[in-house]
Amino acid sequence: MAARSKEELIGELRDCVVDMEDERVADVAREYVDAGYDVRDGIFDGLVAGMNRVAELYEEEEYFIPELLICSDAMYNGLDVMKPMLEGSDAPQKGTVVIGVVQGDTHDIGKNLVKIMLESSGYRVVDLGRDIAPERFVEAVRDNDADVVAMSTLMSTSMANMGKVVEALEAAGLRGRVKVIVGGGPISQAFSDKIGADGYSRTATDAVKLLDRLLGYADAGAESLEASRA
Amino acid sequence: MPSPAGRPAPGRPLAPGQAVPSERERLLSILAGAGADRPACVIPGGMMNMTTTEVARAAGVGLPQAHTDPAEMVRLARAAHDLAGIENYGVPFCMTVEAEGMGAEVDLGGATCEPHVVSGAIPSAADLGELRPLDPTRGRAATTLEAIRALHGLDDGVPVVGNLVGAVSVAGTVLDMEVLLREMVRRREQAHALCELVAQGLVAYGRAMVEAGADVVCIAEPSGTGEILGPRLFGAYTVRYLNEVIAGIGAPATIVHICGRLDRVLDEVARIDCDAFSFDATISVRAMRERLPGRVLMGNVSTFALEEATPEKVRTMTGVTLRSGVDVVAPACGISMSTPTENLRAMTDAVRRWAPGRQGALGRASASQTTSRGER
Repeated sequence: MAARSKEELIGELRDCVVDMEDERVADVAREYVDAGYDVRDGIFDGLVAGMNRVAELYEEEEYFIPELLICSDAMYNGLDVMKPMLEGSDAPQKGTVVIGVVQGDTHDIGKNLVKIMLESSGYRVVDLGRDIAPERFVEAVRDNDADVVAMSTLMSTSMANMGKVVEALEAAGLRGRVKVIVGGGPISQAFSDKIGADGYSRTATDAVKLLDRLLGYADAGAESLEASRA
Repeated sequence: MPSPAGRPAPGRPLAPGQAVPSERERLLSILAGAGADRPACVIPGGMMNMTTTEVARAAGVGLPQAHTDPAEMVRLARAAHDLAGIENYGVPFCMTVEAEGMGAEVDLGGATCEPHVVSGAIPSAADLGELRPLDPTRGRAATTLEAIRALHGLDDGVPVVGNLVGAVSVAGTVLDMEVLLREMVRRREQAHALCELVAQGLVAYGRAMVEAGADVVCIAEPSGTGEILGPRLFGAYTVRYLNEVIAGIGAPATIVHICGRLDRVLDEVARIDCDAFSFDATISVRAMRERLPGRVLMGNVSTFALEEATPEKVRTMTGVTLRSGVDVVAPACGISMSTPTENLRAMTDAVRRWAPGRQGALGRASASQTTSRGER
């Protein structure tokens, strides 16, 4: 059987992500790698491009969170195969984001979606998990030399704990070093302003645009992808 | 003035010589679609918890003891009614009883923090066999039932609301929500088997609430929302199991609360067999009224405002909500534990003082143009 072309396989990687083929994607990724094609192209033009299309479908309300989760499974399954093949392995990064659900809440889907979108757009993400105390955000910023703190909560009852994280960063003398972004069901721009965060986004895809703006990667999207690939 | 569906609106003046109804009579009449002298003002409990740090302190009730001790639970519910003017008793004060009863691990919180689930009960839907069915005679379900019995026994004209968390939200707690969402698409039989098991437990628990004297059962779906699931899965899971649980319990009256945006699932929401529908601050009452004619609507005073705004602002926002034509005024979602009592009071007083007759043509007609959209 003749080997399939690079373009054909990249198209199939993209389709696997968009069509929720979270198992088949690994076989396609392996075929791509075995054929000796450029791994970085496979990741960005295949898997990440697919995930970007998924984000569009989500914004268009064709896809909802269950679909988004399975598509991201497909992206990560493809990455598992392809990433070890990257020479030097360290792709250039836009910045390090410490992310977590604030104390008092264990709903972490929104946080995980933001993580997926940030990672696929070229950020390094340190995921603290859920029900995270302010001091743990502070520690993680220090330990990872982070550029951003991203917080999420679904519950109106734990919103106030976002303000406590901002205060803890201030007390630790780290507030000036990081951008703070917030999101989640009950959160609003007004609330973000009130607690002194740097920005709020309503959706996971908007979170990427917000951070790109805050960190000076202006024209987000394709161009920043190019930048992180360079 | 009649509502669009000809349903008697709350705000019908009392006939001469007609006695002012008790809070219980008013709420039940409104929920039955028969209207009342004015809208009721409730905080149902459960996910829409009626307690605060300040109320508990003022009443000398310890937290988290009030989550586990029926006598303290009763005292705290009474304090919220008496001190904040809330026109019901609503227990429990959290949304963790059902999941804990099925084996999830819960942190009961304290004076300033509500109980919350720390970890689920099973790693995948395939482990369904290891899941403990909810037993209403044990744990904090039993505590809650005992409190309902005592509150009902007061016979003081205050309606007693028993609160449940909806099957999808409970299923998404005993099993990680993300895992459940994937199973809903990938392995539907397993996802349905889990939801079904949860729903059966909710029916047993809800029936026990009614037997204990609950006047109203309120079911909240914080996770099984249209925003998260999308219309297809919202209909196939959330609506299906809400209706199964509502029918199975057969409560005198049922309120359903769904969190989040609803614009994509209004057709599905219309299929929920509840007496009253309660919704978030992101949705305009007018939009809901148009899509759900004849349905009793409950909502949707910003919980953010209740916590942060001045009493004057809360009064104004409550006025906006009243003019928008809700039948029952309530917070849009769960209030923060740090909500000041004077703000709750501002909301409940504004409803009590509401005199739609005096508003004349400025009443519902112009208010139907008003939305309560805004920050929560």
